[in-house]
Amino acid sequence: MLIIILILLVIPLFIGLIIYNSLIAKKNQVANVFGTLDALLKKRYDLIPNLVAAVKGYAEHEKGVLTEITELRSRAVSGQAKGDEAAAQDNKMTQLLGKIMITVENYPDLKANENFLKLQGSLNEIEEQISAGRRAYNAAVTEFNNAVEMFPTSIVASLFGHKQKRLFEINQTERENPNIKNVMKG
Amino acid sequence: MKTQEEIYQYYGTHLKGALAELEEKRKALAKKIILSMAIGIGACIFIAIILGPAIIFLFPFAVIIVLLIAFLIGRSDLGKTYALEFKTRIIQEIIRFIDPGLIYSNKSYIAEPVFMLSDIFKTHPDRYGGDDLVRGAIGETGIEFCELHAEYKTETTDSHGHRRTEWHTIFKGLFIMANFNKNFNGKTIVLPDVAERFFGGFGKMLQGWNMARPELIKLEDPEFEQLFAVYGTDQVEARYILSTSLMERITNFKKKTGKKISLSFVGSKIFIAIPYAENLFEPRLFRTIIDFEPIKKYFDDLQLAMGVVEDLNLNTRIWNKQ
Repeated sequence: MLIIILILLVIPLFIGLIIYNSLIAKKNQVANVFGTLDALLKKRYDLIPNLVAAVKGYAEHEKGVLTEITELRSRAVSGQAKGDEAAAQDNKMTQLLGKIMITVENYPDLKANENFLKLQGSLNEIEEQISAGRRAYNAAVTEFNNAVEMFPTSIVASLFGHKQKRLFEINQTERENPNIKNVMKG
Repeated sequence: MKTQEEIYQYYGTHLKGALAELEEKRKALAKKIILSMAIGIGACIFIAIILGPAIIFLFPFAVIIVLLIAFLIGRSDLGKTYALEFKTRIIQEIIRFIDPGLIYSNKSYIAEPVFMLSDIFKTHPDRYGGDDLVRGAIGETGIEFCELHAEYKTETTDSHGHRRTEWHTIFKGLFIMANFNKNFNGKTIVLPDVAERFFGGFGKMLQGWNMARPELIKLEDPEFEQLFAVYGTDQVEARYILSTSLMERITNFKKKTGKKISLSFVGSKIFIAIPYAENLFEPRLFRTIIDFEPIKKYFDDLQLAMGVVEDLNLNTRIWNKQ
């Protein structure tokens, strides 16, 4: 009798333990991918002074955008923003960089500059990596959120106060196809 | 890439003459084989008449002997020169017509270490071979492909102590290696999905338990996920390689081949394995070769391999890798 009671007690405990561990693993996966994404964003911020320096000499008229980029960068690098705000900053940066890359088309000298071409390549590369990082982050968050919401993991999740995490969303302006005319005007 | 009309035209103007000459050799070779087989069969019947009904037990051996004769002649110098001449005069010309920059060598193939490096196949081959290596650059992308056949053997001993060796195919078909247009350090392997198609979500769980492979990577493209299971050493890098557009392109390429293709991304290279049941780029023996149908098949198979560069957009170099 005692054995049966013990088994009945141990089995749910054991299952609970497995579920708890899987939840923690998923949570850590989110943190892990976020770390990678963060590193990629930093890498992009590191490229920006070079870009600004390269563009400045050629494109006098783009000073406005360049200052905006520099300001945004210093704010981002100081590292005050967390979570949603950081995401918003990142989105804004992507947008501004896109804008610069299109306006450069007006400056044939700049486009022919070897240094600038290399920078452009690096930026394209890092943008692509960041977008991969976002996708990886969202995949990890979705997996975690599913576990938090789905039975039976949801029980353990609510017991330990795990809440759903937010996806890294792309803002509305970015989701639209870039309208080159508008960007040129800006 | 050449269109169907261009190929047909080329067939009429450039290949037909060479094919007609080769047709004579084919006929001579085929005749020789049929004659030898006829003699073999005749001999068997003669022995059967002498020995009487007991011969029925020897019948399987007779069949084997007759087939062996045909096989040996096919493999003899005569057979080999026919195949070789066919390849240099027809296959090589076709490749030159599609892209003059490509080099063809009918006896070479991609080396075994490279095949293992791709990590698509885990089993180490005990017998490895191939032919029809094509090498060169399409646009800016270096590419190499060939026909491969990799096998492993199992040895069993039955209750009488007889040892039996059996050969099993690991891979047989077209193997393609090309430079990938992005730099990466890890490994990403895209395998045909068996579990998910049959078991759905449960299959996904099974994929996660595949110990021989690195981490399972779950991607967003539902159609791609249905067709493939992706494993990789780095979650972010795998997505960097498999951009949304590349996933779509791979899906379309898979549909185009209609085969269970596998891909891998290792050492800044892309590897693609397309299994084929038949031998590729080999001449017909018992049917006329003056026919557009087989020529079109050679073209299609070659253009499929070369088309990888365009289909997967490998010439786009907007990243740092040049």
